[in-house]
This record gives sequence, structure tokens and C-alpha cells, in this order.
Amino acid sequence: MMKAFLTTLLACAVSYAAAPILIQNATILTVTKGTYKGSVLIRDGKIAEVGEKVTAPAGATIVDGTGKYVMPGIIDCHSHIASDAINEGSVSVSSMVGIPDTINPDDIDIYRALAGGVTTANILHGSANSIGGKTIVLKMRWGKDAHDMIFQGALPGIKFALGENPKRAGNPTGQRINATLRYPATRMGVEDVIREAFQDAKIYQQEWKDYNAKVARGESAVPPRRDERLEPLVEVLEGKRLVHAHCYRQDEILMLLKVGDEFGFKIRTLQHVLEGYKVAKEIADHGTGASTFSDWWAYKLEAFDAIPYNAAIMTRKGVIVSLNSDDAQLMRHLNDEAAKTMKYGGLTEDEALALITINPAKQLMIDNKVGSIEVGKDADLAIYDEHPLSNYAKVDKVFIDGELYFDRDKDIAGRPAKEADKEKLLEKEKQMEQQRRPNGGTNRRPAE
Amino acid sequence: MKTCILAIAMSLPLLAGADDSFLIRGATVHPVTGPEIKDGSVLVRDGKIIGIGHNLSAPKGVRVIEAKGLHVYPGIIDSGTELGVSEIGAIRESVDTGELGTFNPQLRSEIAINPSSEHIPVTRANGITTVVVMPMGAGGGGRRGGGGGIINGQAALVHLDGWTWEEMEVQKSAAMAMRFPTIQSPFGRFGGGDPSELPPGFTRTTFTDQKKTYESQLRELREFFEEARRYQKAKETKAPGFKPDLKYEAMLPVLEGKVPVVAMGGHERAIRDAVKFADDEKVKLIIGEPRELGKMGPELKAKNIPAVLGPTLALPEHEDDGYDSAYSLPAEFYKAGVKFALGSFSNEFSRNLPYQAGTAVAFGLPKEEALKAITINAAQIWGVGDKLGSLEEGKWADLMVTDGDPLETKTQVKQVFIKGKTVDLENKHHRLYEKYLARP
Amino acid sequence: MKRLILALVAVAALHAELPSAIAIRNARIVPANSPTIARGTVLLRNGLIEAVGTDVQIPADAWVVEGDGLTVYPGLIDSISTLGLPNAVTTAAATGGGRGGGANVIQAAPASTAPPARGPEDRPSTTSWEKAADEVKPTDTRIEAARSAGFTTAVSFPHRGIFAGQGAVVDLAGEKGGDMVVAPSVGQYVTLTNSGFGGGYPGSLMGSIAYIRQIYIDADYYQKAKAKYAANPRGNPRPAYDRALEGVIDSPRVLIPVSRRIDVDRMLRFATELKVKAILYGAVEGYRSADLLKSAGVPVLVNLRWPEKARDTDPEEIDNMRVLENRDKAPSTPAVFAKNGIKFALYADGIERRTDLYRAVKRAIDAGLSQDDAVRAMTIWPAEIYGVADRLGSIEKGKIANLVVTKGDLFQDKTEVKYIFVDGIKFEPVPEEPPAFGNRNGAPSNGEQQ
Repeated sequence: MMKAFLTTLLACAVSYAAAPILIQNATILTVTKGTYKGSVLIRDGKIAEVGEKVTAPAGATIVDGTGKYVMPGIIDCHSHIASDAINEGSVSVSSMVGIPDTINPDDIDIYRALAGGVTTANILHGSANSIGGKTIVLKMRWGKDAHDMIFQGALPGIKFALGENPKRAGNPTGQRINATLRYPATRMGVEDVIREAFQDAKIYQQEWKDYNAKVARGESAVPPRRDERLEPLVEVLEGKRLVHAHCYRQDEILMLLKVGDEFGFKIRTLQHVLEGYKVAKEIADHGTGASTFSDWWAYKLEAFDAIPYNAAIMTRKGVIVSLNSDDAQLMRHLNDEAAKTMKYGGLTEDEALALITINPAKQLMIDNKVGSIEVGKDADLAIYDEHPLSNYAKVDKVFIDGELYFDRDKDIAGRPAKEADKEKLLEKEKQMEQQRRPNGGTNRRPAE
Repeated sequence: MKTCILAIAMSLPLLAGADDSFLIRGATVHPVTGPEIKDGSVLVRDGKIIGIGHNLSAPKGVRVIEAKGLHVYPGIIDSGTELGVSEIGAIRESVDTGELGTFNPQLRSEIAINPSSEHIPVTRANGITTVVVMPMGAGGGGRRGGGGGIINGQAALVHLDGWTWEEMEVQKSAAMAMRFPTIQSPFGRFGGGDPSELPPGFTRTTFTDQKKTYESQLRELREFFEEARRYQKAKETKAPGFKPDLKYEAMLPVLEGKVPVVAMGGHERAIRDAVKFADDEKVKLIIGEPRELGKMGPELKAKNIPAVLGPTLALPEHEDDGYDSAYSLPAEFYKAGVKFALGSFSNEFSRNLPYQAGTAVAFGLPKEEALKAITINAAQIWGVGDKLGSLEEGKWADLMVTDGDPLETKTQVKQVFIKGKTVDLENKHHRLYEKYLARP
Repeated sequence: MKRLILALVAVAALHAELPSAIAIRNARIVPANSPTIARGTVLLRNGLIEAVGTDVQIPADAWVVEGDGLTVYPGLIDSISTLGLPNAVTTAAATGGGRGGGANVIQAAPASTAPPARGPEDRPSTTSWEKAADEVKPTDTRIEAARSAGFTTAVSFPHRGIFAGQGAVVDLAGEKGGDMVVAPSVGQYVTLTNSGFGGGYPGSLMGSIAYIRQIYIDADYYQKAKAKYAANPRGNPRPAYDRALEGVIDSPRVLIPVSRRIDVDRMLRFATELKVKAILYGAVEGYRSADLLKSAGVPVLVNLRWPEKARDTDPEEIDNMRVLENRDKAPSTPAVFAKNGIKFALYADGIERRTDLYRAVKRAIDAGLSQDDAVRAMTIWPAEIYGVADRLGSIEKGKIANLVVTKGDLFQDKTEVKYIFVDGIKFEPVPEEPPAFGNRNGAPSNGEQQ
């Protein structure tokens, strides 16, 4: 009697912890440790085993991977989905605002990104300001609340923007007719805004250091006013906040690297960086990563020298390069974009795949957790029905932390029921409408 | 070794005789209108294909291109672009896609094409040989601006090679570009109808008002057509007091059914309205950039109305739509039996047209159909199906030699020919690549 | 004849010849926080409830109101209002008609005449020192209609800006503004307005949130600086007087707008971060947010202006499922809250016609809210939320004599409001305005706003 009770209890406990999952007999694209036919075992949200021969433990759910391709979930280093706001365009230094305050987990583009193989995205403030707002890394955990989407352990970031966008509001013939002009109006001014801001940040940092020293000595002191705008900049100076800088032309790229040197901080990633190929050496020397488009060009003047070989050249010159989307649609086929670097510049398959997996992971300093199929990393995986670098491929399933967040078959199977639910509500509304106006269904009142 | 032979073979055309005559042999030939030919040959003379098959031999003086291990395809046709008429979207001075005014049938896109546009070499380097240049209506950079005009001008069909636009010309007036009046969703990107989601200060236009605007635009359009018809009659009968008018002159080929109307629409209602209009006015119709097919399939099929689809890689129209609704639209058109071609409706992305076709295959379009949508279907829709779009005897030698499937990104395009002439594949991007790769 | 006498009495009441006591006898009494009395008497004197029950002795000097067949309720409290405030546009008129609850609901036009802010130091969107108690006037023409719907009390707030100002609990009668005020500063009204892209700071939701955060940081700093100075003024520079921060510090509660579940989630976290005593208002998706609110201990004011289908829409454009669901389920929010023990109250958001108001409440009742809870949500619960339950919100001895006497249950289609008592003064309802064209909620229609 007792034994039966205990066994039942144990069984319940076992089934409570999610069963391990074995993706079997697929082509595994580990990105860092080669490609081969094999299997991946997921346990407790992590990759427990990966290899040519992996035995299924008792109670494991088997996912048949025959003919399929498994790769690490795609990491998009530049996205604006999942937020109720993108730009605080009123001031040139808006470091006090941040995406973390406006995460929108209901954004359907999260689900659509999942369906395109994306498991992690770096959500950035827009490019309206020389120094923009705070940024955050999210996992595409569709259905969870905002807080549960945050990539735990990823360092916070901040967005800078150089070039045409942050100076648009200073242009007298620019977009808005009656708006007040906002400094800067030139690239010279953009550098000035950044240097002034960091000058202020340095002074503020010193004020706090002095105050803390006084307190440590037991002296009475008045603390400085906590300034939300300067706090993130101090974090940058202290290496606690990563800088992601939108930039295009080689001159502004070089400018920012040197401003970083002047104030003693590193630019973590250059975003878009479409002329990065011209100063790849300097970028590599500074230790900055580059996150770029595969082949966008000519939509504005500063993009006119953009070339699809950008990623390949920078890679060859020693820069860690990632491909990003900056767009809810482009995000859905970053695998296609990666393939372009094989055509334009001759990157290998693994190098191309790295641009959307391990490289962005390194850039965001989360490569100990994601970015490749290696034991111990998070089970963030995408299963494709063809090789992901083929245009004929589509995503079958996506796992995040070992949980199935997207399943194409289930999605399609669920559509009739969703339609029916919608029809029901529409019908219900129509009924209520007719009840309220029993005299023929018009809104009109005689007096009008 | 093989590469070596190839390299020598590739350089032969520069040494040998007449530039628009050659024999490609040893390749897998894809005629598109027929089964593929392994180890096949294509014989071109004076710019025309005069032979396709196995083991053809080159007449005297005609150079031979050894293409073992390679593939020959027809040149790709992009059925909707801004190539040559828009250089940098954000710079108004470089954009000529949209004129002011509501009825501008007399405008001709061909003469505004800049043959020196950087977009042309970049695009043809990926095997796109022919494009339709489409006027889009006022508002700046083409589709990015949005149409104010209803009849926007004549779309031109051009080859991507030539010293002047005259040399590039395939058809000066391939279609009349129209942005058909339709009732647009009042919210645009705020679609969904929840008033509390409108940004502060934003007022909704009611359906009644939208309908009024639509009806008045439609009235204007019908009147314009009527006036054009009156002009036609007056001209035919040499009526006294007849004065030539450029606008109505431009309408004559449309009224005569010689030049089709491309009606840019979007939603099912726009398609419906365009079809009805075309019926009433008895003009040939092509549906431009539809975002959905809805229930219009059978009618389009029955009336032989083709469509030019926009980029496959697009977001769904509505929040509740399946995530792949745009991806599977080409397959939907195919299953409904409606003939269609693909267009990039862009300049900078025209080179990616074959990859749009590739994605359509992933979501239900048979591979052969995808290829047809960017070759023979396009040629037929634009009325040049006897000259272009497939590898057949008598057609122009618009073709490309590749190392693989052109719908796959990794494929390299080795050579491109337009009317049998070798196309220079050098372009700005490649030049910058070489230059900066070599930076010490 | 009786009516004539009562009319004369009413006239007399306006001329300050008030009866010293009024007894409503033989009526059904719904006290709100104790069981219903099937047949009893309520005795009012000097503006207060002197007695209530089944065996109340009616003094000789009391005017008697026959309550046979009538029901006496506590006067309704409108939990967020602009009643009594001059220049306050009703929410609906300001925002273009027919809106559901939410962040944009009660929002007058942004202060566009002020120069755009140059940064967080500039604060043109803060008028936290403004007090409704200083501005209310009994001459607001909307008061009569509100009383006729059964309201005796409104919690009126200034509405302009991010920190709009301090609200007051006001009774809807009096000779001058001061007479009306029951509690002068019950909460700071906060909105998330911003001037949009291209305007001054803040120009986005991110900006508004950062703005609010900095104000609270500054208020905390200011308090510490003031305390330090007060302890030792000699020889030390004084902190500058900052009325904006004073206004924020003086407010015992903060009202924060929410619409969707994600807003509730976000603002609960924000309130915890700021360490403020918060009240959430709006709550269209309250029905989906019970799990978040259950353990939060934060009360919610639910907007009675349920989301409606927009008028005159394109029949071929179908709303999203999310929008449809909200329209269907929003009226169930009160029932869901009641079921989960979440403290809430209801507010009219400018619904003026009695019929429209009752219809809105009835939708909540039809969706599962009990009749008793519906009454509580507009009487004792808002009083508790605003800390004035010791003097308002139920029919109890000693509380202010605010009552509404009806024929039939409150909130039904056929309910007739017979009398309204505010501070013990008897009023009769005025006839209802005819419905405005095309809008069930009683606000001006879309057509007028174009």
C-alpha cells in the first residue's frame, strides 16, 4: 500500500519535471563543432547531449529528425519588435529612457520571428538620437509576461546613432515644418553631443566617487542628485553597459571608436556599419563587433557605398560579424540573409551560419549560454525541413530552453479552430447589434 | 583543372569573332518551356537562339563556350521595378517614379531611365536581364511614397544593357500603370478598429466618408475614359474642331486593347473593383501587387486576367492572418489557375527576385512554376512571349550561365547575355569589394 | 399636489430654508456594507445620517418622505471625474468619442502652447501642485445631470499633463466650491501623455515613464535635502522650493493608467519600484489580469465606458481577435475582480445620461457581477479606496447624508431615480437628455469630432 503510494508519488514527480526530448537522426549544424547526422538530447532546458549516436533516456519524447536540419536558434542583434515605443526623439541624449520600460510581450511579431527561427533578439531604441535609450535582450518566449521574456544574465545595453538619422531633427528643410530645430545638424555636432555627454558623465561619476569617499571616511556629505540620464553613461564608462552604435560611413565609425578611446570605453557593436569594410582593420583593432545587413543599400545617401560583401570582408579582416534585421519582416528569414555571404565574398557554410548564431551571441556576451549546439548551453534550437541556407527551407519547430514554442504543424492545424472562435464572437456581436436596434438596424435617430 | 578550363573557356569570347554569336555546350540547359537537357548545347547567332539540343556544333567563326558542370537558364525578368528612375530613395532629386496629377497616361517612364544608374550593373550581375519600369504616382520614392495619382503613366519593358535608354528598349509602352481607386482601411498600420488604440489627436475617417471619396474618384476615372473615347471617335471620324491631346492620345492603345492596364490594388476589394472596371471599359487588365486573392481566383482564371505579385517575403496583412500568408500567396494564385509573374517593386532589391521565387517554393509553389514566374510567364504577360522568357529557337538570346539553381542564394552567375551580347558583370559592389579587400 | 409641495420645498431648499431633519420612511434600504433592510427608515439631520433601521423614531420636526415601494441607496460616487472643474472637457469630447478605457481615456489636449521641453529638468507636463479642491465650483452645468443619475459625490481630478494634479472628493452640491469638498487631496492623477515623435520631451511612452521616475527620484532627494536643511539651517545653502515636487510629496496616492494586461504588469512593477501607493485606472483587460492583481494589493478603478465597435467602419475590414475579445469580455472585469478579491470601483468616464450609465453597469452585472457588488463598487468601495469610508459610501449613522432613492433596483433599464440627497439636501432629478446621434455611451458622436 505504502509502496504503491510512493511509486505513484515518484511517477508524478518525474512527470512534473518536463520529460527529456530527443531530436533524432537529423543533420545537426552545431556551428562551432561541425555538421553531422546525429541527435540532440534536451534535458531541463539545456542541451544535455549532442552527437552521432545518442541514446534516448527512459521517458524521453522523441522528435523524429529524419531529413531535417537542426541549428541553434537565430539571434537577431538589432530589432525593434516587442516594445510599445521605439524612439524618444525629442532630445539628442535620451539615455534616461529605455526599452526595458516598454516591453510588449503581446506583439505578434514575436511569434512571427519564432516562425522564422529566431530565439533571441537584441531590442534597441531607435536611431533618432546621437545617444539613445537603454536596450535589452529578450528571448522570444511567446505567451510569457514581459519579465519572463528577459534574457537573464545578459548585460544591459544602450543605443547610439551616428550619421543622417540623429541629425535629421536639426535640418531646417527636414521632415517637420513647425518643429523647433534640435542640435546637432551635422556629423560634427553628433560627435560633440556624445563627447559632451560623456564629459558630463565623467564629472558626475567623480561627484559620486567623492561623496562615497567622504561617507567612507565618516564625514557628513550631501549626495549628488541621482541623474537618470547620466547613470547609464557612467555604467558605460565602467564597462557594465554595452554600447550598440548605429553607423554607416567610415568617417563616423572611426570617430566613434576614437571617442571611445578618449573616454576609456569600448564600443561593443557597430550596427548597420555598412561601410565597415572600409575600416575593417580599425574595427578589428578596437575589438568591436559589427552587426550589419546582408545586402541593403542605396535607400539613403550614407548607404550608397554599401556592398553585400561587407560581412565577408570584415570577417576576413578579423572582425566578429553578425547579420541583423532591424525589421520585423527581415527578421523572419535571417537564414536566407546568411546565405548571401556565401555568394558575396565566399564565406563557408559554418561562417555564414555563425553570423546569425554564435557571433551575435559573442557580441551580446551571451555565448556561454546560446549560439551553438554544445552541451551545457540553453536548448534554443530551430528545426528546418531543408538546409537552412537554402531558400527552399522553412522552419518546422523552435525550442527555447527546451520548451516547444513554435510548431508549424500545430500552427496550421489550429487555424480552423481560431477562425471558428473568431466567427463566434463576430456572430455574437452581430446578434447584440440587432437586439439593440430592433427597428431595422440603422443608427439614425429622427432628430438628425 | 576543371576551373582552369572554365577560366580559359570564359575568356574565349573576348578573343573570338562576332560578339552576339556563340555556342554554349556541355551544360545542363533549362529551356523552362520544356524538360531540362543534360549535357546540352545552345547555339546563338546574331543575337537569336537558333538551336538547342545535344551536341550541336559551332559554325565557322562562332566561338565556343565550354560549360561543363554549369547550367544555362533564360535571363530573369523582373515584372515591376524602379530601376533607372530612382537612385537613392531618401533623396528626392534622384527619384522620378511619381509625378503630380491624377490622370497622367501620357507620361513615359522609359525616357526617364538613367542607363548609368548603379542599380543596373548590380542587378544584372545576378542574371536579371529584363525589367518593367513602373511609374508609381506622386509621393516620392515609388511604393514607399504611395499613390496620389490614378493613372500614372506608361510602364516600359527594358533590357538591362545599352548605351542609351533607346538601346535598352524592348517595349516603350508595355502597360498603363494605374493605382485603382479603392476604399483603404482607415487605420493603416493601426488596423484592428479599436478606437482606444489610436494615437492621441488621430481622428478616424468613417467608412461613409471613405466611400464618398472612392465613389468620386471612380466617377472621375470613368469620365476620363469617356472623354478618351470621345476623343478616339472624334479622331477616327476626323471631326471638325478636333485638336490633338497628348493625354488622350496615350489612352488610345489602352482603349484598343493593345496596351494592358496594370491596376495596383492590394486587397480583394481592389481586385474586384478593377476587374469590374475592366469589364465595363473593355480594357485588358493585369492585377498589380495584390496582397490577397480572396475569392477572386475563379473570376481571374475565367477571364484570363494575370497578376504581378510583389515580394513574397512580406509580413501578413492582418494580425490574425497566418504567419505565412504572404509566403504562400504565389502558391494560392497557382492553385487557383491564375497566371502570374513576380516583381520586386524596388530598385535595390531587384537582384533578389529569384530568392523571392525560392521562398514561394518552400511554401507550396512547384519549383518549375517559380521559375516560370520570373521568365516565360512574365514575358507572356508583357506580350513578348514570342521573343523572350525561355530558351527556344527564334527567341532572343537573353540567357545566363550559372553554377547551380538560380533560385538558391549560393549560386554564382558566371555569364549573362542580352540579345546574344556578353553583359559586363562588373559593378560598383564588386569594385569596392576588390578595392577594400586589398587594403593593406 | 404633493409634487407641488415638494417643488416648493425644493425651491425653499435653494433659498437656504432647509428642513432641520428629513426622514425617509418605510423604504427598502440598501446600506452597502450591511444587509439590506426590507422596510425601514433613514433619518437625516444637519447633513448627516442620524439614524437608520427598522425602529427609528421620527422626530416631530422632521420632513417625511414616503418611501413605500422605493429603495434607498448610498449616493453613487464617481471614482474619477472632472465634475465641478471649470474648463475641463469631458473625456469623450476631448478624445473624439466612443473610446474604451485606457491610457488615453481622460486626456485633455496636451499643453501645446508651451515651448517644448528641453529635457527632464524642464517639466512642463507637471502641474502636480494643482488641486481640484481649489478649483471646484457648484455652477458646473453637468452636476445636475450627474445627480439625476444618482451621483452624490465625485472624485474630481485635474487632467492635463503627466502629473496633472491632486484630486478631491467633492459632494455635488453647495453654495460655493469650498462647501463641496469632502477630502481636499486624495491622490495625484498621472497620465502617460507624451507629445509624440517630433514634439518636446517626453515624446514617447518610454520618455513618460523615465520622466515619472526622475520626478520621484527628485522628490525623494528634495525631501532629504529639506530635512537636512531644517535640522541645521545655519551656514548651509537652502534647497530651492519646488512646487512640483511638493505636489507629488503631498499626494497620498498615485493614480496610474492601464489598459491591457501588459500595462497592468508594467505599472504594478513600476509602482513597486517607485515605492508609491498606487491605484490603477482604466483596465480594459482587467479580466485577463486577475492573477497579477490578486496578490498585489493595488486597487483598480474600472472604466464603465466599455470598448465599443467603432461606428461606420468598413464591413470588409474585420477587427483582430484581440480587439473582439476585449469588446466581449471587458464588461466581465468587475465580476472577475470580485471573484478574486481584488479591490475595485467603477467610474463613469463622462457618461452623462442615466440610461447610458445604468446600461453600462448592467452589462457588468449581466457578465457576472452581483447586484450588491455593483452597488458597492460605486459606493463603499471607492470610499475605502480613497480613505473616506469613515464618512461616505454607506448608509450608516454619522456618515454624510448622501443618498439616492429609486423606484426599482439601481442599474436596471426601468429604474427611476426619485430623489437625491447631497449633504442632506434633497434634489429631484432633471429630465434626461435625448441620446446623441449614434453613440450608446452618451458622448458626442464621431461625426461631431471630425
